[in-house]
Amino acid sequence: MAVVTAEVRNTVVKRHRHPAAHGEAPFGFAMIALSVLFVAVFTAIPIVASLGLSFFSWDVISTPEFVGLENYQRLLHDGPVLKSFGVTLGMAVAIVVLQLVLGLGLAVLVNQRRLIWVRTAFRTAFYLPLLASTAAVSIFMGYLFDYKFGVVNYYLGLLGIPNVPWLTSGFAAATTIVLIAVWQQVGFTFVLFVASLMSVPTDVLEAAQIDGAGPLRTLFRIKVPLISPTILFAAVVALINAMQLFDQPYIMTKGGPGSATTTVTISMYQKGFQNLQFGYGSAIAIVLLAAILVITGLQFLAARKLVFYR
Amino acid sequence: MTGIHPPGGSFTRRTLLRAGAGGLGLAALADLAACSNDSSGSSKSLKMLYFGEQAQATQLQNRLQPQISRLDPGMKFEISAINGTDWNDFLAKVLTQIAAGTPPDIISVATEGLQLMASKELAIPLDDYVTRDLDALKEYFADIHPALVESMMYQGHLWELPDSFNAGNMFYSTGLFQRAGVVPPTPDWTLDDFETAATRIARFQGINAFGWVVRLWGSWTSFMYANNANLLEEGKYDGGDWLWSKAYAGDAAAAGRKGGWKWGAPTANSEATVEALDYMIELTRKGLSPSPDVGGGGTLQGLFASNRIGMSIGGGFWAGGLTNAGMKNGSFDVTMFPRWKSQRHLFGAGGYAIFKSSKKKDLAWEVLKLLVKPDSFDLVFPGNVTTPGRKSLVTAARYAKTGPKHWSVFYDTLTEHPDTAPIPAPPYYNALATALNQRTTEAISSGKAKAALDGLQSDLEKAAGAG
Repeated sequence: MAVVTAEVRNTVVKRHRHPAAHGEAPFGFAMIALSVLFVAVFTAIPIVASLGLSFFSWDVISTPEFVGLENYQRLLHDGPVLKSFGVTLGMAVAIVVLQLVLGLGLAVLVNQRRLIWVRTAFRTAFYLPLLASTAAVSIFMGYLFDYKFGVVNYYLGLLGIPNVPWLTSGFAAATTIVLIAVWQQVGFTFVLFVASLMSVPTDVLEAAQIDGAGPLRTLFRIKVPLISPTILFAAVVALINAMQLFDQPYIMTKGGPGSATTTVTISMYQKGFQNLQFGYGSAIAIVLLAAILVITGLQFLAARKLVFYR
Repeated sequence: MTGIHPPGGSFTRRTLLRAGAGGLGLAALADLAACSNDSSGSSKSLKMLYFGEQAQATQLQNRLQPQISRLDPGMKFEISAINGTDWNDFLAKVLTQIAAGTPPDIISVATEGLQLMASKELAIPLDDYVTRDLDALKEYFADIHPALVESMMYQGHLWELPDSFNAGNMFYSTGLFQRAGVVPPTPDWTLDDFETAATRIARFQGINAFGWVVRLWGSWTSFMYANNANLLEEGKYDGGDWLWSKAYAGDAAAAGRKGGWKWGAPTANSEATVEALDYMIELTRKGLSPSPDVGGGGTLQGLFASNRIGMSIGGGFWAGGLTNAGMKNGSFDVTMFPRWKSQRHLFGAGGYAIFKSSKKKDLAWEVLKLLVKPDSFDLVFPGNVTTPGRKSLVTAARYAKTGPKHWSVFYDTLTEHPDTAPIPAPPYYNALATALNQRTTEAISSGKAKAALDGLQSDLEKAAGAG
């Protein structure tokens, strides 16, 4: 017994030994150096710079002027910007829910196909929109859903249905943008769920079948709990993406009609790059970052109860 | 600290961090050095920014290069195109480029950006150069309507030499007018005539009687001008006599001209302004006009060219635009904007300014003079994609291929309607354009002009205060 314990301890020590002990450190550091540099230059430094800039008033041309918390105070009383937070949150929740439900539904359906080529074909088909440029997709969709000459309204017209103001009425525009975003992004959650469903142990599924569980019961009582870590991951990533929604509303509606589709990132762009209030734009960006962090934190808190780790 | 350290002498984490920080420091220093360099580029190149596509810009650059070489052998002329849906997009990108430390020597900018540039002192006043070369420029000023020159002035100084403009006239499809049995409009037609024509055209299925886009130039703002209203209080800066008394001595059209347009307090929710936007909502309600898009109007030209729109607001640039979209000469024509309380039109002008940071200002000035010469116009704007600012260039020969038949309307707008004025583009134009677009779409979708314009008034008051 003592020998076994010693062997286990040795194994643990070996497994926990720092790779540097084997002289692998330089190679390891070199491998991650580029990534670290990339993240530092394009993510960390801009975030720190934005935080710094949010305490200044700066129009690009004149010298920045320190204003302390003025930009944040202004934000608290800026109705249109606060509304854009509400619009963003509403659209983000809709996008995430639809993306998860549709992604899971499609994954379950595809997973039932036994032929590998059928699965591959579906995976490719659902993943393809994700590879297309969002800007190009938005321009294209703008034409499809155009009120006056859009193909969608043309075919609805053939069925005797009057033109729908897809992008020119507040609620319709927000809904259209949500649907387009979901159409383009659902491939991501779909692929994750397909892979995750394939990893569900067959013996568990067989046991459930023997116990008389039907397909729905198997799905909700066995498959969903077993892939819940993937669902959490997909929800977090989808929400972070959705909170930064910009291309689709900016290209298709310019944030309109009125401010019905003005997301926080559009507000930030308008204040910073169009109205030359870079300090205020940075303050909006920082508050958005904080909001995303808080919501993500809440998701992880909820996950403690809802996610099942095997 | 129980961690296992790597063998001595090898690459430590701290070393890596130090190296990384050092690298970033060097990169930052390199950036700063780049910013402090001759910010207008290398000493043997003259840079110009232009609103459009790079392919066109390169073509223009190649066409003008021989003439630039005659001014300064070895000087490379570089034109960078910046595109966008409208001037506010263009200006936002220009300012970002300036912030990045790469300002140009020359910029081609329209009325929309003039006061923004001038108020931020990005450009230089051309007063001294113009005064010095006035004899050589007399022929130019004699050919350019003073309204265009005045629109390029700010606080008494001239900031740009204009070479083009577009007034908001009314284009119409001759085919659709004929089909609807509507007599082509005369220059003195009224808003009632317009609506009568629109009502008859709207009877055709799939046809929009009147199409428009949401923007500052030639949008519902044309109706606002014809209703003797504006978004901002109108005034003029003192000064400018140094130019008017010399370059335009004895010209009746220059009487009363001053030192540029002074855009005052917002009047976006005034009764007449609300009435103008309400009229647009009524047009939509009556099915005479569809919900408008936001943007520069390219799509609108496409719809017009495919005979799906009966009438639309356009300037001289529509002649080239419609021809490029496949419309035949004779299938469209132009007339004055209809009379409401007045027949006041709006216009926007284009021209060239010299950047303050340029190290080659004298050469840039010579290039400006070259750009406004009559034979440069078609090099810069081939195919009637704008209206020449020089009256001598607005001829029957110019429009013989493209049309419209009543091309003289373009310049007559300036000469026959002296109350015609530039679009209200104050130093905070970008904020104004953003708010205008947002509030206009809000009004059209909600059907409540007053509420939307109350919002616009508040937006503009804030923007004017921030500016």
